[in-house]
Amino acid sequence: MKFHNDDDKPVRRPRAQVLSKQLDRVFTELNSIASFIGRFFKEVFMPPYEFKEIIRQCFEIGVKSLPLISLTGFIIGIVFMNQSRPSLAEFGATSWLPSLVSLAIVRALAPLVTALIGAGRIGSMIGAELGSMKVTEQIEAMEVSATNPFKFLVVSRVLATTFMIPALMMYTMLVALLGAFLNVNANEGTSFVTFFSQVFDAITFLDIFSSLFKSALFGFTIGVVGCYKGYNSSKGTEGVGKAANSSVVTAMFLVFIEELLSLQIITALR
Amino acid sequence: MSAVENKRAVVVGVFVFLALVILVAGIFVLGGQQKRFTKTIQVSAVFDDVTGLKIGNQVLFSGVRVGVVQGIAFEGPSQVAITMDITQEAQKYIRKDVKATIGSESLIGNKAIVLTGGTPQMPVIQPGDRIATSAQLSTEEMMQTLQENNKNLLAITNDFKQLSAGLAKGEGLAGALLTDDQLAQNFQAILANLQRTSATSVRASQALAQFSNKLNTQGGLADELLTDTVTFNKLQATMTQLEQVMSTANQITSKLNTTTDKFGSNSNALGVLLNDQEFAVDLQMTMQNLESGTDKLDATLESLQHSILLNGFFRRKAKRDARQKEREQERQERLQKLDEKEGKKNQLPLTPPDTLAPAH
Repeated sequence: MKFHNDDDKPVRRPRAQVLSKQLDRVFTELNSIASFIGRFFKEVFMPPYEFKEIIRQCFEIGVKSLPLISLTGFIIGIVFMNQSRPSLAEFGATSWLPSLVSLAIVRALAPLVTALIGAGRIGSMIGAELGSMKVTEQIEAMEVSATNPFKFLVVSRVLATTFMIPALMMYTMLVALLGAFLNVNANEGTSFVTFFSQVFDAITFLDIFSSLFKSALFGFTIGVVGCYKGYNSSKGTEGVGKAANSSVVTAMFLVFIEELLSLQIITALR
Repeated sequence: MSAVENKRAVVVGVFVFLALVILVAGIFVLGGQQKRFTKTIQVSAVFDDVTGLKIGNQVLFSGVRVGVVQGIAFEGPSQVAITMDITQEAQKYIRKDVKATIGSESLIGNKAIVLTGGTPQMPVIQPGDRIATSAQLSTEEMMQTLQENNKNLLAITNDFKQLSAGLAKGEGLAGALLTDDQLAQNFQAILANLQRTSATSVRASQALAQFSNKLNTQGGLADELLTDTVTFNKLQATMTQLEQVMSTANQITSKLNTTTDKFGSNSNALGVLLNDQEFAVDLQMTMQNLESGTDKLDATLESLQHSILLNGFFRRKAKRDARQKEREQERQERLQKLDEKEGKKNQLPLTPPDTLAPAH
């Protein structure tokens, strides 16, 4: 459609989108996420501090996830040990199983499995919880009642995930190694001392601290994605489901991306 | 704070505490394993090649982990200085003349600095010391040696190829053995002879064994000689006597020598008789004189027989001799007859009675 000025010269009407509809949406989303993260860092250092809520979220996110995470870690330790055995047995190197499995668990499996389980359980929980609060206008009600909903809902959850995922990762690591030990003890008769001696022979401080750092990053990602999706969910019950679903999928996807990037950085440091 | 909130806080606290315990325990175990929290001294060693060695690799002394590699840095034109932390606990066992080589923890394991040797007379290693190194045979060097071996192997197989071709053509003794039937038969015959010889040798050895068994038989001469002390003593006495006899014989021989020596000199009668020519001529002349003297005496006696004075004496003597001769002859005849009679008497009892009866 063309517009005409006073001189009857045709002028271009400003476009509704800058690049394209999809790209505009992507970049707008990115801007929104960046603002969300920026606001988190701004709010996290500013009083008042919602310690009670943080502890409650730690309990909900960390302690209540422990049984599921522990069971998963235990099974992963056994399964990975069983799956690795035939390959090493071909070389007659089954005595290297503890070293191999410990490297795999400490460097990759424990942080990744914890993050994925966390993304599934915690991400969906946060997304659904905040989404339903958004749908039922509880967030707006909090704003009206002079409570900072961002600080109360988002900062507490993101902090809880950022601290609890590394803690859960430590449990997963230990339980997975115990599962691997039970398997290797049953098959090769390796003693507890020998097993853990070989485990700690293989790993370094860099492995442990990089895993801790990764887990904190994964936890932060899960918390931010879950809160963002729930906090910005569309109206209606459908929006709650979408928020829960997209928070899980996005968190898992980002966890893998971060794993890939962190691997490059750690390899460079090693 | 409500009771529920309080409980949550405690549970979260315990949860976090346990996670921290796991982390701290892991750090301490790992640090202990890598000797991070033990007091160490730093020493160095310079190598030409440190392929595969990394910071954090183990330092082994007599197979025991005594430290870790702390730094790898270039030094000089093409050498690498390795800095390593060695625990103070192990310091007292490592001497200044210890040698460092780059080995590995296992066949396909990580590389490690291996400390070997060291004499007790030398002082213990001190911080900042530079350890002497000895070059380890590298994979490249081993490959070069293997390549040399391959070349040698190729040359050997070529030689064998030529050898087998020659054998197949029947060249040389071995080839002829393989291809010539006549030679093979001769060879078989030689083998058969050898077999027979060996069988004979076996028999000979058996016979020898039997002989030796007999020698060892109790009561046998050899056994007596070897084992019986009485026989041995007798033999010894006999030998002693023989020695005495031999000494006597020696004395006799020496006396005989003296005697025969005297025969050679003219100082005695026999020596003169045997050696003096003049005496021999004189003796010969004397003998001739004696011969002529006896001839003359014979003639003189014969003439005396025919002399009147002694004729009667000789006649009587002749008669007496004749009578004695006759008596002797008669005695001989009587003895002969007596013998004949005795012979007939001895033959009669042997003849059966019916043969003596006349035949009718």
